[in-house]
Amino acid sequence: MSAGPFKVCMLGDFGVGKTSLVSRFVRSTFSDKYMTTVGVKVDSKEVARPGRDPTKLVLWDIAGRNAIDSVSANYLRGASALLIVADGTREASLAAALNLLMQARGLLPNAFAVLAINKFDLLDRWEIAPPTLTQLRRAMTVFETSAAAGSGVEEAFAAIVAGLDP
Amino acid sequence: MIDADALPPFVRERLRALLLERSHALVLGFDPDWTLREIHGDAAFHGIDTDAPAARIAALQDLFVGIDVGDDQEIPFVELANGRSVHVYLLADGESFHLLLLDADEARATQRSQQQLANEAVLAGHAKSKAIDALRNIRNELERQRARLEEANALKNAFIATMSHEFRTPLTSAFGHLRLLEQQLPPGESGDALQAVRRSLTYLFALAENLLEYGRGEAGGGLLYPTDIDLDALLADCEAMFCPLAVAKNLVFRATLERSDATTPRFDEVKLRQIVINLLSNAMRYTHSGEVVLALRWADARLHVEVSDTGIGIAPEFQARVFHPFNSGAQSGSRGAGLGLSIVRRLVEQMQGTLALQSELGVGTRFTLDLPGAAASPSTNDAAPVHGRVLVVEDDVDVSRLLEVAFEGIGLDVRVVGEAAAAIEVALAEPPRLLVFDMHLPDLSGCEAVFRLRAQGYRGAILMLSANASADARDAALRAGADRYLTKPIDFAKLEAVARELLARE
Repeated sequence: MSAGPFKVCMLGDFGVGKTSLVSRFVRSTFSDKYMTTVGVKVDSKEVARPGRDPTKLVLWDIAGRNAIDSVSANYLRGASALLIVADGTREASLAAALNLLMQARGLLPNAFAVLAINKFDLLDRWEIAPPTLTQLRRAMTVFETSAAAGSGVEEAFAAIVAGLDP
Repeated sequence: MIDADALPPFVRERLRALLLERSHALVLGFDPDWTLREIHGDAAFHGIDTDAPAARIAALQDLFVGIDVGDDQEIPFVELANGRSVHVYLLADGESFHLLLLDADEARATQRSQQQLANEAVLAGHAKSKAIDALRNIRNELERQRARLEEANALKNAFIATMSHEFRTPLTSAFGHLRLLEQQLPPGESGDALQAVRRSLTYLFALAENLLEYGRGEAGGGLLYPTDIDLDALLADCEAMFCPLAVAKNLVFRATLERSDATTPRFDEVKLRQIVINLLSNAMRYTHSGEVVLALRWADARLHVEVSDTGIGIAPEFQARVFHPFNSGAQSGSRGAGLGLSIVRRLVEQMQGTLALQSELGVGTRFTLDLPGAAASPSTNDAAPVHGRVLVVEDDVDVSRLLEVAFEGIGLDVRVVGEAAAAIEVALAEPPRLLVFDMHLPDLSGCEAVFRLRAQGYRGAILMLSANASADARDAALRAGADRYLTKPIDFAKLEAVARELLARE
């Protein structure tokens, strides 16, 4: 396995919190003002690996879409991992996330994928029910995350690092 | 696409200069290992320090992680660390390659503003539909709550109606038979024992009425049955009821009556008594020395009632509370249920009167009421005998016997039937002058029977009797076709008066 750096693409519908998750993970900051992403924002962070040298994650925060178009496909080239993001308060965003995952799998069959159901701090407004998450966990790694509160964010990226370097 | 070669050389040159200037074009030449060989263009605009470009070059290198730099690449709208957006092109050149950076800020701003509006509209639509769902859920929950409350209220009303019936039916029988016993004694000798029975029955009746009145609630709209009132008798009854209590507490009890209006006062007697008894009971309870005084004054068709005592008094801050139900903390040392004064206020309001309270702690309390008398009923010759047949439909043997005696007493022939169906047959075959129906009969309700009779052409007078004192029950009976509605316990004087009135109207 390569020592990195590794390209990790954030995929999800608009407004699910991809930019906020990157901001929380890379800079430990959060803003509740919604600012749509145009194109892609690229960030990077060096992460520790137990018993190994640190590695670098290059995070591609791709503008929110519910399907992959040619531009997004171009952005995905060379990605080692995908962080698929859905918004727990919008059930439709989970369907979009799973659709994106299926499409991305066609382009990147070997990429490691983790699903983050974001906005865990707004749990009282969640539309995604626990049994749905139980079903999803049988097929992939799923984290409930909150970019606002920080919960689950480090864990989700740590799972990606672990998945890249088994 | 413009054919640049077709342009005049000076135009082509000017266009090239403009495009390079506006795009802030930057070209970086690299060896295959990303060693920077050359740099051309506006490096500062793109945040690259030409003297120390390593950090920025590393960031650009990150864009091509996992990508073969031997092929041309195009990455539009890349936001770099300095916040600027650029289009990035990788141009392969044999072993080496070039990166071309073109400013995309303006295009990004345009796209962002359009995309932001569209996305926010979708998010707002989602929030709106969720809010509508939430409101719908709240409305459904309120509907369910209202249905539950209506059901509970219906149960409460049914309970009160049942209790009302349970209280009034035996009281009717007791009062009626007491009256028969009193009639059998020589005039003026009603006997101490019978007086005591009457007082106790009256007191029991008042207590029951207090509870029922409370149970009916503010919206119950209790009915008023004004009749001619004998104020002397009322005064005498109060003396008979409260003197023994006063003696037992070493209090003086005085009851006075002043009359400056020659007309006969008309009030709902049960409610008037309930008011006076409640006020006197209250005064007796909170007075430990001195006196309790009842003063009645009938003047200008208004009854002025004053109940004063030299009791413990009510502190100013508690004076408003004494009229609230279950106010037992309002007067120190209170032991009652705290219902009496709240019911007094309600009854006074029903009678369209006014109620005032004056009290001083440790000195005493005075309740002052002003009640307008009801209009006089159409005059009937109370003494003259009437003739004809009355059909009494009543399944309670005790009550039917009392009704029989009462109607025979004014000269009517009485036939009693215990079931509604049989009564309809009899009434249609031989129409009586007056039909007296109990509301609750074993086979049909009184309302159903009255409706059927009217529907089959019976035009005689119908008087409905019921233990249910609610306005709803009265309205239902009148809608079904009854002419009058009286509640039990039966006031026989009122019964006779109503019977005469109905027969006179015929």
